[in-house]
Order: sequence, then structure tokens, then C-alpha cells
Amino acid sequence: MAKRKRREPRAGEQSPAGVDTPPPRRRSGLRSEARFLITFALVLAGSFALLAWRPVNDGLVEPFTGLVARASGVALRGLGQEVVRSGTVLRTARFGVNIRNGCNGVEAMVILLAAIVAFPAHWRARLLGLAIGGLAIQAVNLLRVVALFLTGAYLPRFFDAAHTVVWQSLVILSAVLIWILWARRVAPRPAVAA
Amino acid sequence: MLAGIAAAVVWMLVTPFYNLFLTKAAERLTRLGERPPVTRIELSHGQDGLISRADSRVRGLPYAVRVTDIHFPLVLLFALFLGTPDVDRRERLEALGYALLITVCFDVVDLFFWVKFVYATQLGSWSLRHYGPLARNFWGLGKHLLDLPVKLALPFALWAAFYLRRLTGEPAVEPA
Repeated sequence: MAKRKRREPRAGEQSPAGVDTPPPRRRSGLRSEARFLITFALVLAGSFALLAWRPVNDGLVEPFTGLVARASGVALRGLGQEVVRSGTVLRTARFGVNIRNGCNGVEAMVILLAAIVAFPAHWRARLLGLAIGGLAIQAVNLLRVVALFLTGAYLPRFFDAAHTVVWQSLVILSAVLIWILWARRVAPRPAVAA
Repeated sequence: MLAGIAAAVVWMLVTPFYNLFLTKAAERLTRLGERPPVTRIELSHGQDGLISRADSRVRGLPYAVRVTDIHFPLVLLFALFLGTPDVDRRERLEALGYALLITVCFDVVDLFFWVKFVYATQLGSWSLRHYGPLARNFWGLGKHLLDLPVKLALPFALWAAFYLRRLTGEPAVEPA
């Protein structure tokens, strides 16, 4: 009969026999939080500096924002709105918005990227997390643009609060939740007992 | 979900007082570097910080900055800290307290950078007379970084600082 491997209880847990487990060994003297936060901050700063660089902004971010506007226009037309798109601007007779940096979901994707890179995992798992997480963030962002457009068209007095507070928080929160779900799956387990 | 709703309610209740506190604190911080102290930040319509100067009439002032936009990530901070499962009540409050303290300090500095950004880049010839290219870039880039990536990522970074080990399964206390 095959010998079943038993998961070592996590720190703070007790083994089935009721014996406290020894702490897992560290890879280095630096606390894991410090390692994570330093890498997170460096990747975040580097990515935002890169995105703020004009050639990257003009050649990559702006066309991407145009795609976000196009997808939002398609979704709004599917909801019966007679939207006309021009670049990153969506307009109907009732309301118009210009989708700019900060409204394209890129910030949330960069936060996810920094968090995924900073967390100890295999590169394959990281790439998979980035791909799926990025798509999920863009889906939430699409919902945000559509909802904000409809809010502006039909409930304009709520637009400012919805734009800044509600949806910006929701998009960042979605990035954080996606990362937590990913990290829980790929988190390194303590060594398996022999 | 419940944590998010509770966070939004707490934030909405606290916002009027916090806006007032932030404008006054940032005004004090800005004045620390002025001889004589001339910057005024007054709260208008409950959520706009109106930046002006007592020493001269500058075209472009008063300049309005929406203070609420600076501290809305508090909702995210509350939601993350209150929504983390299986945390002892005392430990949760302690962690939330430290995180709030850091966030309040950050918010004051963020508004301070806004004021310097306005002075350095938004007042036309007055800005050009009083701030050189290096200073304009410093305050502009500083405000951009603080007001976008740092502001949005800070709640998550603080949460990770306190609760990352719950994901990795490492012990909370360094072994002797």
C-alpha cells in the first residue's frame, strides 16, 4: 500500500498527536514580510516609472486604454446605449466620458504584478496568476466603466462618488482578492514529514 | 463583503472630521518650511481643500484639491483588516491601529505634496519664478507617485506587513 504523505501542520497548529510543530527553516535572515514588501515596493516603483515614461505611455498605455474604451463601447451598445467612440472618449447624446490613465485598470494590474513577483512561487505559477488575474481585473474594470457611464447618464449626482471612491476601491480590492486567492494556492508549505 | 460595507460606513461617518484634520495638518506641515508662514488650506463644501497664500495674489489661487480623493483608500484598509478571518480581536485592533497611524501620516504628506505640486507646476509664471526645473520635477513626480501607486497600494502593503505569514504558514515570532 502506498504510503500517504501527511501535510505538516502550519505554524501555530498542533499535529494530530497534539505535539507542537517546530518552526520551518528560513531561507535567509531577512523576515519574509520585509523581503516581500521591499520587492513589492521596488517592482511597483519600477513599473510605474516605466509606465510614466512618455514612449511607453504613448506606445503602450494609450493604445491599451483605447482597447478598454472599445470594449466598453461594445458592452454599452449591447445594453442599448447609442454610444459613439472616438479614441478613448465614449459619448451619447446624454453623457460622455474620457477614459484616462487611472481608469484603465492598469494600476490594479501593476499592483497585482508587484505582489505576485514579490511572493515566493515558481515562475510558471506567477505567469499563470498574472494572466488570469489580469483578465479578471480587466473584467471588473469593464464593469466599472459601463456602470460609471450609466451612473453618469442616469444618476449624475452620484457620478463623482462612484468614480473616485466606490469603483476605484472595488478595482483595487479585486486585485488584492485575486492575489490572496492565488497566493493561498501557491504558498510554499512547510516540509513534509518523512 | 460585510467588512467592506462596514468600512464604507465608518469612512463616510469619519470623513467630515478627517477632511478638516487633514487640511489643518497639511497646512501646518507646509508652513514649517515657510518664512513667514503664508500657506492657507481651507475646507470648502466639506471635501475640497482650497489652497491659497496670504502674502500675495497669485493667479491660479485658490486651487481646489478634493481631500476625499486622498483618503478614500481608508475604505480598502478597513475592509482588508476587518475582513481577515481567524484573527484575535486584540491583535486585529492593534494591527489596524498601527496601519491607521501610518495611513494618517501618509495622507498628510500626500496633501503636502499636492500643495507643493500646485506651487511648483500649476501657477504659470509664478511657478517658473519660484521653482527651478529640478524642483518642479521633484514635486511633480513625488505627487504623482504618492497620489497614485503609493496611495492605492498602501492598504495592501500594510495588510501584508501584518498578515503575510498567514499565507506562508511561517511562525509569527522569530525563533530564538
